[in-house]
Amino acid sequence: MQRIPVTERPNLADAADEHELEYVAGKGITGWDESAYYQFTTQEIDENFPGPAEELEELCLQVVDRAVNNEEVLSRLGIAEPFWDFIAESWHNGEKNLYGRMDISYDAKGPMKLLEYNADTPTTLYETAVFQWEWLEQAKELGLVPKGCDQFNDLHEKIVETFPKLAIAGLSHFACNPDIEDDKGTIEYLETCAQQAGLETSFLGMEDIGLNDQGQFTDLDDEVITTLVKLYPWEWIMAEEFGSHVPASGVRFIEPPWKAILSNKGLLPLLWGMFEGHPNLLPAFFEDDPAATAFADTGNYVRKPIWSRQGANIEIVEGGKTLSHSDGPYGNDAHILQGFQPLPEFDGAYPLIGIWLVASKADGLCIREDKTLVTGKDAQFVPHVILD
Amino acid sequence: MKSRSSLATVLMMSVSLIALTACEEPKVDASVYKSLEQCKGDPLNSSDQCESAFKEAQSQHAAVAPKYSTQEDCQADFGTDKCEVAPYKTSSGGSVFMPLMAGYMMGSLLGGRGSMMSQPLYRSAQSPNSFRTAENRNVGSKTGRTKVASSATSRPTFKSSTRSRGGFGSSGRRFGSGAT
Repeated sequence: MQRIPVTERPNLADAADEHELEYVAGKGITGWDESAYYQFTTQEIDENFPGPAEELEELCLQVVDRAVNNEEVLSRLGIAEPFWDFIAESWHNGEKNLYGRMDISYDAKGPMKLLEYNADTPTTLYETAVFQWEWLEQAKELGLVPKGCDQFNDLHEKIVETFPKLAIAGLSHFACNPDIEDDKGTIEYLETCAQQAGLETSFLGMEDIGLNDQGQFTDLDDEVITTLVKLYPWEWIMAEEFGSHVPASGVRFIEPPWKAILSNKGLLPLLWGMFEGHPNLLPAFFEDDPAATAFADTGNYVRKPIWSRQGANIEIVEGGKTLSHSDGPYGNDAHILQGFQPLPEFDGAYPLIGIWLVASKADGLCIREDKTLVTGKDAQFVPHVILD
Repeated sequence: MKSRSSLATVLMMSVSLIALTACEEPKVDASVYKSLEQCKGDPLNSSDQCESAFKEAQSQHAAVAPKYSTQEDCQADFGTDKCEVAPYKTSSGGSVFMPLMAGYMMGSLLGGRGSMMSQPLYRSAQSPNSFRTAENRNVGSKTGRTKVASSATSRPTFKSSTRSRGGFGSSGRRFGSGAT
């Protein structure tokens, strides 16, 4: 794994325009940095990412299988009792999942370590699947990178291939918080993929969803929603006013309800509890677990709320001292402690690798860099290549 | 058929009453069967195809069938003994009636773009030999492989009156992005 500085494409403003990404003169594309790229060998990719990620996925599914029938575990994950059967049924019925992104720490010296699993509402999907790929094609044409460069990136094809396998009948609705550009861009991209796969689709804001007298959800044309592809976290859906109508609504959700177990950072202590010592896992404990006290005494750990996003409310403790503590709106719920595996540093930047899974198979890689050890919302996407 | 507006204010079933002159429309391939057995008896189909299409049509039936507030109104349109009680209540708690499913239509291109849509069919008292979709589009009297007006193959809409909106979205307003 190397970080290689490179000239930006001269047409960057046009590329941003074409892909509807924000471009600020003098600064470039918001959230995107192509003044460098990361280079891996085929062997390094093959040995470190797809295999271990799919193995972790298998362990995650074992955690779900155990958790859905365990009330104590579901409570610990902060999942309210009215949703227990709903989640368990979605698992036992084999409701298929579409995608997820595992965030890992990889320093090119030892095995990658799972930091968390964004299994429910992952973004940077478009940047990974489309924009990063286009950068590679153009950078090769322009002679900015060697002609033989490849990328770990089958994401677009796999998503388009997976939609028909989800066995969706009729119209699918796609929803998110429409005021957030990033979320809207991601759901629109998914909608485009679904259309390419032959599905009939319709977009609406989560706030526009209606409820009818039969307890079904409706769209703005009063049409009953039967399938909802949502970029809206399960814990929000369950907590909101209409949440109580979800189990009896008859809606098929993507991601399926059982993903609520995986997108929760409580997954990490559950994984460690079942598979302690696995080379790709860091020690992790629920904060209220007695074992967490002993672990905290080591003085090196990361404290995370079970629900937080984009690096918010994360505290890093090293040598007994707080090294950093990010702000954010989360943190009123339960916390976990996780072993501290600092991201490697390259030229003053800390790359966080994301491994994308589609239908539980590893199909792509993205890298986001931040200037701090916690990757937050100001992180920049940096493309990668594979070259032997 | 007489007006189906009797329940419109209760269930908001939007039903088109335009008599279709299907002859001017492009026709598409479809298969029409009066029962699951008839479908299975057609050597062109696999038993699995028939069953999943029948199941899909049956699952749509209650949601898409025309609704009436009295048995008499329903029978006037669909015939004696051709109606059943729908699994719904009017807002004042009264029973709701709907025609019996008289068959179903399936086809590789129904609903467009590769989706295997199937939908329930009905027969009116006035022309008991013809099958009609829930939206009152005539698909003819022929069973088995047939050609029907493409508009008749469009997905039936599951409409109903929305009681309230805005029950989702509050966390998004509070936290912003739902992305991770």
